[in-house]
Amino acid sequence: MTAAATSTETPPVLLQLNDVSKQFAARVGLRKAAVSAVDGVSLTLRRGDTLGVVGESGCGKSTLARLVVGLVQCDSGDVVFDGRTYRAGRRRTRRDLRDMQMVFQDPHSALNPRATIGEAIAFPLRTQGVSRAETEARVDEVLARVGLHGNYRSHYPHQLSGGQRQRVNIARALALKPKLVVLDESVSALDKSVQAQILDLLLELQVEYGLSYLFISHDLNVVEYMSDRVAVMYLGHVVEECSAEELYRAPLHPYSQVLLESIPKLDPRERGGPSALTDGEMPSPLDPPSGCRFRTRCPFAMDVCATTRPPLVETRPGHLVACHLHPVPESATAGDPIPGEQ
Amino acid sequence: MTVWPLTKLAPAATPAAAGAAPAPAAPPTAESLREAWWAADHAIEPRPYWREVRRRFFTNRAGVVALAGLGLIVVTSVLAPLLAPYDPLVGVATDRLMPPFSGSHVLGTDEQGRDLLTRLLYGGQLSLLAGFVPTVIATVIGTAIGTWSGYKRGASGTVLMRGMDMLYAFPAILLAIAIGASLGGGLLNSILAVSVVFIPPIARVAESATRQVVVQEYMEAARLSGAGSLRLLRTQVLPNVLNQILVYASGLVGVAMLIAAGLSFLGLGSQPPTPEWGYMLNSMRDTLYSAPVNTMLPGLMIFLTSVAFNTASDALRESMDMRLT
Amino acid sequence: MFSLIVRRTAMAVPILLGVTVIVFLLMTVLPGDPAQAFLSEDASPEEIAAVRASLGLDDPLPLQYVHWLGNTLTGDLGWSPYRRRDVSDLLAQAWLNTALLAAASAVFGLVGGVALGTYAALRRGRLADRVVSFFSLTGLSVPSFFLAIVMLIVFSATLGWLPSAGPRGWDDGPPSSFPAPPWVMADGLAGALATLAITGPGARGEIVETYGADFVQTLRAKGLSGGRVLVHVGKSAISPVLTTSGLQIGNLLGGAVLIETIFRWPGIGSLVYSAISARDLLVVQGATLVIALSFVVINLLVDVGQATIDPRLRRAVA
Repeated sequence: MTAAATSTETPPVLLQLNDVSKQFAARVGLRKAAVSAVDGVSLTLRRGDTLGVVGESGCGKSTLARLVVGLVQCDSGDVVFDGRTYRAGRRRTRRDLRDMQMVFQDPHSALNPRATIGEAIAFPLRTQGVSRAETEARVDEVLARVGLHGNYRSHYPHQLSGGQRQRVNIARALALKPKLVVLDESVSALDKSVQAQILDLLLELQVEYGLSYLFISHDLNVVEYMSDRVAVMYLGHVVEECSAEELYRAPLHPYSQVLLESIPKLDPRERGGPSALTDGEMPSPLDPPSGCRFRTRCPFAMDVCATTRPPLVETRPGHLVACHLHPVPESATAGDPIPGEQ
Repeated sequence: MTVWPLTKLAPAATPAAAGAAPAPAAPPTAESLREAWWAADHAIEPRPYWREVRRRFFTNRAGVVALAGLGLIVVTSVLAPLLAPYDPLVGVATDRLMPPFSGSHVLGTDEQGRDLLTRLLYGGQLSLLAGFVPTVIATVIGTAIGTWSGYKRGASGTVLMRGMDMLYAFPAILLAIAIGASLGGGLLNSILAVSVVFIPPIARVAESATRQVVVQEYMEAARLSGAGSLRLLRTQVLPNVLNQILVYASGLVGVAMLIAAGLSFLGLGSQPPTPEWGYMLNSMRDTLYSAPVNTMLPGLMIFLTSVAFNTASDALRESMDMRLT
Repeated sequence: MFSLIVRRTAMAVPILLGVTVIVFLLMTVLPGDPAQAFLSEDASPEEIAAVRASLGLDDPLPLQYVHWLGNTLTGDLGWSPYRRRDVSDLLAQAWLNTALLAAASAVFGLVGGVALGTYAALRRGRLADRVVSFFSLTGLSVPSFFLAIVMLIVFSATLGWLPSAGPRGWDDGPPSSFPAPPWVMADGLAGALATLAITGPGARGEIVETYGADFVQTLRAKGLSGGRVLVHVGKSAISPVLTTSGLQIGNLLGGAVLIETIFRWPGIGSLVYSAISARDLLVVQGATLVIALSFVVINLLVDVGQATIDPRLRRAVA
């Protein structure tokens, strides 16, 4: 299905982020400081597609997820979802939230330990004013759909395994029949075998309910398996965005290349030498490097990298990268950073 | 089709599970095997939380003994009018400070010749009330303040909690005495004073418990369903913090009794001649050289009740301490 | 280190101010007319009004507070009509005696508690451990004033170790001499029990937990003797024990009020006791203020002391 989305007819845009930024206030000793979690990010997600976001922990992926659904309000930029525009600071109404749901990372903490599975799934429905009978029917439906026996309705979360709990989380997100589901590291806490089951379940559900996914993970293999397009994030910036297939075949940004190299290979002939990273530690987001944020770890860092932030530009059709090694090709126009935008 | 967890699928492939299939005549389908496996796995309905707590509590011998003792003290105090052999307020001047087991006075008499057993039975009413009621009042108010501050984190929460900090800067007994002294004596004032003293610690426990809850992902999930603050507090926060608060509060009943007894010991609690253990202890203080046993009896009652409360509270905490997530 | 002290002190200032507000409000907003105390029972309304005016009781509350705070800061806590002396004079004398009592209790309670806790931790699961934990449970449940009475019965009435009269209390006129050592011992012990009961199990728990830490395994693997291991464990466990102890000192001060009453100890407690029955509210107010301030200052000292000992905390605040 990854190929289906890029077929002849381009589906309409469901979610668009325009230059969104979010800073968190922090304190260093007595001084006040700001952590720039997400800085000037622009992304597009088409209906029925999966947009993967990948990056190390601390790169702003989770903040991005929360910005999209409105759990965190952005400082600047706007989020356009299904034709509605949410400028900085505008809250989602209760009605808006029906169309966007989220599946959280930690199956242990994402379910209220004092609520039964049935209550947990029914909660968003009841909040949205769905009638009792309808709620009952929908809880049964989604439970069955995620592969859990109806008797689990009366169970408490601690009586379930991690994989079962994550199924419940998915069921809760599906109960409102959303258009967009944000998956924030939703399989990271699970065993590999259970991960695979959940991923397949997610792919099935996507087709069946016509869902669009914003799939966030630090695991490149998982992102490749799930996504149509992938955005690579580093310290709050998107450094590269292209189709999943192209990213894995020919990554352009040095950071993407390093990330791909770091995937453990089964075949020893494929294993490269030691990592090209010059410094293993990600710089503190409290005091990010000037210019290109990756330059402190980049093996190809140049003088210009310290002074100018490289813009995210389309160097090949559908392939955007923010790196001074890949300047804007002559043919491209500077004012059109969104891929596929006619 | 339905996607089954791997754990349910795996045994279906083993011969042992196949042998356990319900209908050996017909070859079992994969689906029937899964159903059979599921039924075997869930034959035992999970025990509801509170029933499990109760079961664990009753396996704790010290807790059961303490609870039984408490029950005895409560029942005898409530039934004092039926059980007591004498009038609690009227004494016989010639029978002052009789030692225990003298005549019909099983526990002897006090400094005014009143039957001590009678006075102790009646005294339990006020002493228990003075310990229990303030704890309940403080729990209700402290929980409201603490959960709100822990949930809101804004200006209102900060102001409330800083106010609590300031009350907390007083040693508990001293604050109760100061409030009691300003209000004057009387049971109601003593209840009020002890309530105020206990609000800050309960609010603190509630606040820190709430802070732990609000960062959980299920709070975000609930917010994502569009629920308002009050609904979130009621459905997500309260059920998860109440345990901690109740366990803490149950440990305070004993302390409240001690403070209330201390207040009436100082003349700030229930007023004479109504019997109350703390006041009785004080009124017989001058006779401790002549009738030490009689003097000690009210104090012993305070002590025993307090021990019972603390032991029961400890047992409750232990039986509620279950891994839930 | 210096900046830490400054920071912690700065944090204590709003608490101190809050304490003065509460103490002030307790005595003004709540029922009970302080003017009444200066007059006889049958004073006319005019007389009361005159006294109220002279005490500034008719001013608006914030003004009264500022006025009162100004007086308090200059050491003027008012005049006690019952004792016919300045409240600050009375308190200065009483505070020393109470401090002596609280210090004795603190020494018994903290040193004894840590010793018992350590012993119990080393004998974990054995009889000694159970006995200690049983006594700490009961110790928490004993009203200190009851224990004081029991001690009087045992040591004074039965064994005769303590002179039955005791030191001179406030009601016997101003105390002439310092309390005698046996009374310091007895008083201190009575006040120490609750502290003992909290510090003991606290220290035990910390030490048991620290013994389970990885670094202790390493020390053992290096072949250190049991005693030297205990030194390392003690160093790491002392900080949390100090925290709970700091809070206990407040209870010691509060509990002193009740114990002093029984032992006729000429401290703040017996002063408050007699002031309550005489409705001498300025003394109660002053005493409350002094004890609460001492409590805040002690907690501040514990805080700073703890940060000095524990390098983790030092780094966290610096």
